[in-house]
Amino acid sequence: MLFQNVLRTLKKKWLQLILLGLIMVMSSFIYTMMDYSINNLLEPTEAYFEEANQEDFAIGLADGLFETDFAVIQSECPTVLTNNPELYTVSALYDIDASCYEAVMNARVNEIESLYDDITLELREYKDVYFQYNDRSIRFRILKENNTINTTYVIDGELPENNNEITLTEIFAKKNNLNLGDTLTINGKSYEITAYTLFPDYSLTILSEALIIDNTSQTIGTVTDQEFAAINSTINFDIAGTTSLTDDEFTEEVIDTIYDQNLPYVTNATLTINNMRSGAIYSELAGGRAMNIMLSLMIASIGLIIVGIMVSKVLQAQRGPIGILKAMGYTNTEITVPYILFIAILALPTLVIGYFIGVYFAEPFKNIYLEFYLLPYQAIQQELKTIVVAIIAPYAFVLLVSFIIIRNMLKKDPVTLLNPVVGDQTNKLVTKIAVLLKPFNIKTKLKHLLLYRNMVKFLVFLIGIFFAAFTILFSFSMTGMMDRMIYNYYDTTHHESIGYCDYQSTCPVGSDDDKVIELPSVLIDDHDVTLIGLPETTDIHPLYNDSDKDITSKIEEGLVITTSMHLIEGIDIGDTVTVQVGNDTTSLDVVGITQEYGGSKAYYSRTQLSEFLTDDESYYNAVYSETELDDDNYLHVVKTNDILKQAEDMQAFFNMFITIMITISIVLGTIIIYILTLLTIEDNFYNISLFKVMGYNDKEIDKMILGGYLTYGVIIFLITIPIAIAAFQFMEQFFAEFYELLFPVSFSIWHAIVGLGIYLVIFFLGALNAKHHLKQVALQEAMKMYQV
Amino acid sequence: MSIILENVTKVYQSGEVETKALKNVSITFNEGEIVAILGPSGSGKSTLLNVCSGLDVPTDGKIQIDDDTISDMNTKELTKFRRNHLGFIFQQHNLLQTLSVRENVEVGRAVGEDPFDTEEVIDQVGLTPNIDKYPYQISGGEAQRVSIARAVVKNPKILFCDEPTGALDEETAKAILTVLEDLNETYKTTICLITHNPNIAKMADRIVKLNSGEVIESKENKNKQKANTISWS
Repeated sequence: MLFQNVLRTLKKKWLQLILLGLIMVMSSFIYTMMDYSINNLLEPTEAYFEEANQEDFAIGLADGLFETDFAVIQSECPTVLTNNPELYTVSALYDIDASCYEAVMNARVNEIESLYDDITLELREYKDVYFQYNDRSIRFRILKENNTINTTYVIDGELPENNNEITLTEIFAKKNNLNLGDTLTINGKSYEITAYTLFPDYSLTILSEALIIDNTSQTIGTVTDQEFAAINSTINFDIAGTTSLTDDEFTEEVIDTIYDQNLPYVTNATLTINNMRSGAIYSELAGGRAMNIMLSLMIASIGLIIVGIMVSKVLQAQRGPIGILKAMGYTNTEITVPYILFIAILALPTLVIGYFIGVYFAEPFKNIYLEFYLLPYQAIQQELKTIVVAIIAPYAFVLLVSFIIIRNMLKKDPVTLLNPVVGDQTNKLVTKIAVLLKPFNIKTKLKHLLLYRNMVKFLVFLIGIFFAAFTILFSFSMTGMMDRMIYNYYDTTHHESIGYCDYQSTCPVGSDDDKVIELPSVLIDDHDVTLIGLPETTDIHPLYNDSDKDITSKIEEGLVITTSMHLIEGIDIGDTVTVQVGNDTTSLDVVGITQEYGGSKAYYSRTQLSEFLTDDESYYNAVYSETELDDDNYLHVVKTNDILKQAEDMQAFFNMFITIMITISIVLGTIIIYILTLLTIEDNFYNISLFKVMGYNDKEIDKMILGGYLTYGVIIFLITIPIAIAAFQFMEQFFAEFYELLFPVSFSIWHAIVGLGIYLVIFFLGALNAKHHLKQVALQEAMKMYQV
Repeated sequence: MSIILENVTKVYQSGEVETKALKNVSITFNEGEIVAILGPSGSGKSTLLNVCSGLDVPTDGKIQIDDDTISDMNTKELTKFRRNHLGFIFQQHNLLQTLSVRENVEVGRAVGEDPFDTEEVIDQVGLTPNIDKYPYQISGGEAQRVSIARAVVKNPKILFCDEPTGALDEETAKAILTVLEDLNETYKTTICLITHNPNIAKMADRIVKLNSGEVIESKENKNKQKANTISWS
């Protein structure tokens, strides 16, 4: 009987209950999905890093040859210098004499290793090859197999034993419809795919300074050592290191020791956790976990508070009947049970549904990680801990909160319950706000004070809207990120392709092409930078500053640096920097900053750079062309369109992420406003009727009762803007300092305007039903007994 | 303002049950009068007040207030009419707990076309010392005076009072009735007063008795007494 009464009472609130259920489903769903996907990545990943002996740190090596290197060459292979007087890079040395190259590199590794007892080092060598596959240009980083550090981890298949065998990543194979045993033709040579492999120094396929982590057009793999040597491409190298020391000691001592030595060929020394390509997974999973807990907790808290408010409201409305039941002799337990039972029956399915939706989506969510991260994985396994956190804990909490509210009311005697509440003492905040609002008219005062009357409800509103606004602004700031990083830069340049020359042969240059010098790993004020020598009058690769002014001609006067370099290295216009290429050093002024985010680069006049390198104006090692260059004439050719396509793919992923985030914000914001505005109408039922009797029209009442939500929503939105901007700046700074990678999120006034527009849509959608209810409040209600 | 009711009928339909709350009521309240409407529970007192004041519409008949036929008005027009000309006092004071005495009165003032001064009206109801207090800081009688001030401050031509002293003790009730009497004298406001208590009717210029939705008596009160001289027993 009592249960039926509760059922009928709550039936009238079916839509509020459904939406509340939706919040509970969302909370359980998000937690379950993220927890399972992260856990089922983390466990095999930890085992993988352990087994493959992931590097603890990496040391970047300059390609330039330095005095110590020349000393080694002089002693081990002097004829190389005699035959190649203009030799100044290690990669060129590799092409000329591999054993001489080996001697130089061994000397470098040994020198660093001798600095510290507790470190082990191993050279990591790789070559990038480019080829066409499925009408797409592929960049394949072929790693030479390591013996002790960053060893090859086989997911499936066998490592290559013959020179016509190759391994690659499983995700690349999947995306390009390749299988084990298939043949892949790279620059005219056919390889059989023998295994899917992973390398612990590449948990992300970051093969350049730009944040391209696309696994469709980029992959990594390995071949036999003999085949590696035979591949016609520039050798690249760095040093992988491990240590038995703890991280703190390591950070303080080893890295500092290496830097303190000022070894000319060391361009950087980076801990794995600070290294985007190898260590980003740590912060990603830790961040994912923190975000999971924060998101779920916040949504669950909002849900639980609203449950509390609703239970309290329902019980307040039932004061009279509860008073009568108590007067008739029903015990507190007899009255409590139907309410608790109903809440128990209602809450459990929402949490269970949320959990199972979470389990279902954990696999695709895990696959989103695996779209970018190169990690081993296991099938989703359900765990008791997750069930407890996603279902049992919130369930117990809902029941406990409901129980406390009910028992508190039942503490009152029947007579008190039978008499209506004529109003409680107003809270102190209201009286303080009232003083502040003194100069305003009564309608404005009411609009604000009615909101402050119920602080719990108001706080739920503020938190909910802040969350929605922040997520919307944050998502917007990521729009066009890849455009800023890559697309815009290539949009201002006109080269269709870039041809890189083989050190030992000449490069053909068309009459309209630009001769260019590209020097990776040049030290500018001890920062590892790519130095590019351009023709002063180039139309193919003009440089623009942030005011869109062409500053190409400034390269005659000094260096023009990229925005990335300016922000990451802290170098500005007017600074005088030391440029060190091999043993040669010069000082140059920074004369401009180009609006380019694609890594730390500095531009200089090609002729002057050529003179600096070779005492001659004619040197170049790359060709920028407005036409498509022939692959056969160059070491490799990079096509601009392929890079743009990669940028588009990445932006498409970000856009999908943005859409999901904005949709979640809109749904959550709308539900919160829907429930709260409806509760506000219930709270002010008698006031609304009274206003109507007094002659206030619907519009005026709407403004007084619900207008506060609009006003404070807009205020919260405006407050969120500087907070969001500060968060963006923190994020930019974090990525720049931690990973030396520029994450050009951007906030514009349009983001605020469109975000505000979305909030207004959320508000009007959410408040639509409340407005309808407001119109339906009868005038005669004012004559009835007043209840708070 | 005078109120003229001609053959006013109000029927409430609840499922298949039809209830005639008012049956062909024809009556006139003159400008500046205090009219007491008496009758037992279910006699139609509140329904009469509702239709006279435009809170409800009659099923049949005509209600005229001065030159305006309010029975023909739509919801918007009725809202505007109530806003400009009518005031209400109920058994429950229904004050807004978040507002002080002054602010509660200002809620009424904000919709008036030619309102009185807030402080003057508060003074009139004897609440100047409590002007900045909140509803929980004053007594029930004082709260009811605030609701009177709230109704009066907008300068209504007619004041409708539904059992304004129903929840109060005799002393407090008399004080409230005295306030209403003073307002009637000061501002010439027409007052329609619904009450169960026949003693209260002694302060009225006209006494209307209702039973089962019909006016059974409407007469001028020739022995009108001052509110503070009325005895409850």
